[in-house]
Amino acid sequence: MRAYDILIIDGEPIVRESIREWLARAGYNVEAVGSVDDALEAASEHEIHVAVADHRPDNAGAIDMLCRVKSEHPKITTVLIASQPSHTVEEAAAQACEVDHVLRPFPPDRLERLIRETMRSIHAEREGPVGVGLAPEPLAEVVEPRETFVLSSVALKALFDSLAASNRVFAVVEREGKYSYQAVADFAELSLDFDTTLLPPTRFLFPPRETLLDLRLGASPAAEPVVSEEASVLFGVHPYDLRAIELLDEVFMGQQPDPNYIARRRNTILIGIECLRPSATAFAPSMDADVVESGFDLMLAPVNGDFAVIVGTERGSKILQGRDGIRAPTDAEIAALSAQREAASKRYRVQLSVSRARLPRLLEDYYDDPYWGDRSRTCLSCGSCVMVCPTCFCFDVADQVDLDLSTARRVRRWDGCMLSDFALVASGENFRATREDRFRHRMFRKGKYLVERYGIVGCVGCGRCTTACLPRIASPAEAWNEIAEIDRAERRRTRTLRGKADSYVPHMATLKRVAPLTEREKVFELRLPRDQEVGHQPGQFVMVSVPGIGEAPISIASSPTRRGSIELAIRDTGNVTHAMHGLAPGAVLGVRGPFGNGFPLEALEWRDLILIAGGIGLFPLRSLIQYVADRRDRFGDVTILYGARSPEERVFTVDLAEWSRREDLTLRQTVDQGSEAWGGHVGVITTLIPSIVIQPAKTMAVVVGPPVMYRFVIGELKKKGLADDQIAVSLERHMKCGTGKCGHCQINGIYACQDGPVFTLEELNVLQEAVA
Amino acid sequence: MTPRAGRVRKPGVAFFDFTCCEGCQLDALNLTEDQIMDLLRAVEIVEFREVKTGGCESYDISFVEGSIAREEDADRLRDIRERSKTVIALGACAHIGGVNCLRNLVPADAALQEVYGDAAGDYDILDTVLPIDAVIDVDYVIPGCPINPEEFARTVADLLLGKEPRLPRHPVCVECKMAGNLCVFEKGQTCVGPITRAGCKAICVTAGRHCWGCRGLVDDPNIDAQREILDDAGLTVEQILEEFRIYFSCGKEAL
Repeated sequence: MRAYDILIIDGEPIVRESIREWLARAGYNVEAVGSVDDALEAASEHEIHVAVADHRPDNAGAIDMLCRVKSEHPKITTVLIASQPSHTVEEAAAQACEVDHVLRPFPPDRLERLIRETMRSIHAEREGPVGVGLAPEPLAEVVEPRETFVLSSVALKALFDSLAASNRVFAVVEREGKYSYQAVADFAELSLDFDTTLLPPTRFLFPPRETLLDLRLGASPAAEPVVSEEASVLFGVHPYDLRAIELLDEVFMGQQPDPNYIARRRNTILIGIECLRPSATAFAPSMDADVVESGFDLMLAPVNGDFAVIVGTERGSKILQGRDGIRAPTDAEIAALSAQREAASKRYRVQLSVSRARLPRLLEDYYDDPYWGDRSRTCLSCGSCVMVCPTCFCFDVADQVDLDLSTARRVRRWDGCMLSDFALVASGENFRATREDRFRHRMFRKGKYLVERYGIVGCVGCGRCTTACLPRIASPAEAWNEIAEIDRAERRRTRTLRGKADSYVPHMATLKRVAPLTEREKVFELRLPRDQEVGHQPGQFVMVSVPGIGEAPISIASSPTRRGSIELAIRDTGNVTHAMHGLAPGAVLGVRGPFGNGFPLEALEWRDLILIAGGIGLFPLRSLIQYVADRRDRFGDVTILYGARSPEERVFTVDLAEWSRREDLTLRQTVDQGSEAWGGHVGVITTLIPSIVIQPAKTMAVVVGPPVMYRFVIGELKKKGLADDQIAVSLERHMKCGTGKCGHCQINGIYACQDGPVFTLEELNVLQEAVA
Repeated sequence: MTPRAGRVRKPGVAFFDFTCCEGCQLDALNLTEDQIMDLLRAVEIVEFREVKTGGCESYDISFVEGSIAREEDADRLRDIRERSKTVIALGACAHIGGVNCLRNLVPADAALQEVYGDAAGDYDILDTVLPIDAVIDVDYVIPGCPINPEEFARTVADLLLGKEPRLPRHPVCVECKMAGNLCVFEKGQTCVGPITRAGCKAICVTAGRHCWGCRGLVDDPNIDAQREILDDAGLTVEQILEEFRIYFSCGKEAL
């Protein structure tokens, strides 16, 4: 038993066949018969959902025929088309047998819509309720490795013909020297050697206007989704447009999938063609979009009179299966392919003068630049740039009501951020009211926002907007290049004006006092000439040098609240520190700085603090402890934990004694190995943490010590309920310049000497090289 | 006996014309058969010189076609306004003066002389031809020369539903690009699509011509930029005036 969606009953063969053809083209299984007997026979032999008859003088029995079908097969939905709309016909049909629907023949899509709804409700009955919106299904499976074959042009034509036999094929056609995608049935009409098309092929996936919902108005309103499942082939899509489709896929098939886009995308075969003749305004190589490795079912490239075809997906592979005239490429052809690709990439006349990756930060720096106002002065707000853009996908949604006031369609149509009312709200407020606002927004969206949101570049360098813009201001490459040029000029200017060329010249500081801390460590008090202050923050460091010996980064151990001098605590460990250990008061040393970010005072103020130091980690932390002690009223409870290997190796014991005496500070100390004289706690520093009582919500912890200590201490702190942004650590790195240049202190992309040395754990989470 | 509920009165709709070709009224009825039946079910057409005789005291919706060229027309228009709840300017003549404003390019006397010769003294005309909003308050506009029947149908449907009819705020370029047209400027010709209100689906360009601006300007036209692009295309100010004066002679839509 065959299942027919629709049965047409009409005595007139021409009418019968034309209705059949039209509905078949819309994708339905249609049977057409000329008499009621044939109709009944068909209905008993096959499963039929809808029966259609046209009421005309020469098909007068239409009502009767439908009634007889209905009486024997009550499940069939009957539709009478009545050319002469009159109540008599409707009444006659109703009296005879309650024909389900009486339709006028115009507009012609009304019948199609009715059939679609009927079929949908039949399917819904069978399969139970169907959720609105399709699940995002994976597209045709990508094949790896991508194989290359060669087709003769005769074989390519045969391939086209076989696709065109069962699908609508859209391909590039030349008209008045310009190219555009059109429905093409004849291979001879299409062009595979074109620069670019007026509109991008993305419109077949995301059309200028489409109905999202059929609406019923009135007392019992309803909304039916309208999703087209029609299959089509895009034959001849340039790589930059495929790159744009990749972005649309991410937008419409990622989060919050869009059923209309998905249905089209799934039913669209993409056949690419390499672009060997770039348009004069294109800059696809700058946007990494002149060659693509995926995003197509098949990719074509002309080679020596034949066509290379690269298979991108399983679906593409099936299209090629069993075809004549396919062979493997020769070595010469493979060489020719890459040579012509190379040659094509050199034919682009526009180039981005700044790295794509730098665009987001570059734009951010120039948000307020007068450039945007100047450049957009002649903007017509005509929207041409966004209408021709393959990566633009903004839209508007509105209800269009029929004059019967009982039906409407919710229609979406292309909209764009360059149009003056795009950000206008009902109260009259326009959130991007000026040409400048809108122009800048578009450039930011393409160069920054979309990349940041989707990880895919928001412009593919097709050059269409440049061509479409009458005042010649729309090219993103031009705008970005001009901003990059402004940036270069600005940098040149500040380089010469601001850059005191004395970055490496140290202040000559006098050594006022030297005192031993332990066997290996001493504290040095330094004073700058003319009693200048270093002007540091707790946690910052200076570069200290002994002429002839060298320079070393040393953290400042005293608080800026102790004015007049700085204290540096130094272990005798390298050339510079060894030389310093040999100096006596009165000696002169070089000091540059301060450098680095210091402890995050703003985040620490008004909080309870846990300050943890291991060994000589107390050197930098002492600057913070002093600072807190001097501004005690700006902090909550303060607990200091200090651990050393042995009692003798403890540093700043005088300070430790003073802090332990103070009632507004809690100091706990421990040593790994005790001694007879040591009456205190013994054990690694982590053993001090469990017993302290903290209120996680209002506590910040700062940890400074040898790398090995961090992991365990941090583990204990997290057990206490502290989050990553409540724990700060100070990292030690090799440093030579202190100015973010020499590269020694680099941790992934950042420089410890400038962005550090203090980081919260949250900041470190994205730095794989920062082992803490 | 249960009293029968009185029939709900359908909104009364009237059509009026002044100086015009009456083509827009014709196009208002250039709907599909279904739409006309739907329209007649939804409203009562109480006055419409092109299709029926007779008149009415007051109107829910009055469509006014044509521009105002004589003082007596202005009086009649004011009278229509007083008797109408809603007045809608139908087409370019009512909306922006339309082609009739070409008369404004010469003094009224000279125009009368040119047209009526010796009989010029028998006529009394305004110094300049006016769009209807120069005489009365207008609630809504259906622009175009002629109007787009679909826009007419949508406006009526919106009004009957109590929804504010809204014209596109973007220029013709948007619809022209959607239609896939090659830009008129790229063909070496000129166009005022960039500053003209859309809603026509860019039919003139699609048919191979350029946009004449019959739907009036967008809300915030960048006239300077439009002048610059016409200038770049090689048109002098005089040529611009010559080329585009059809819909740009009322002073309201200056180029």
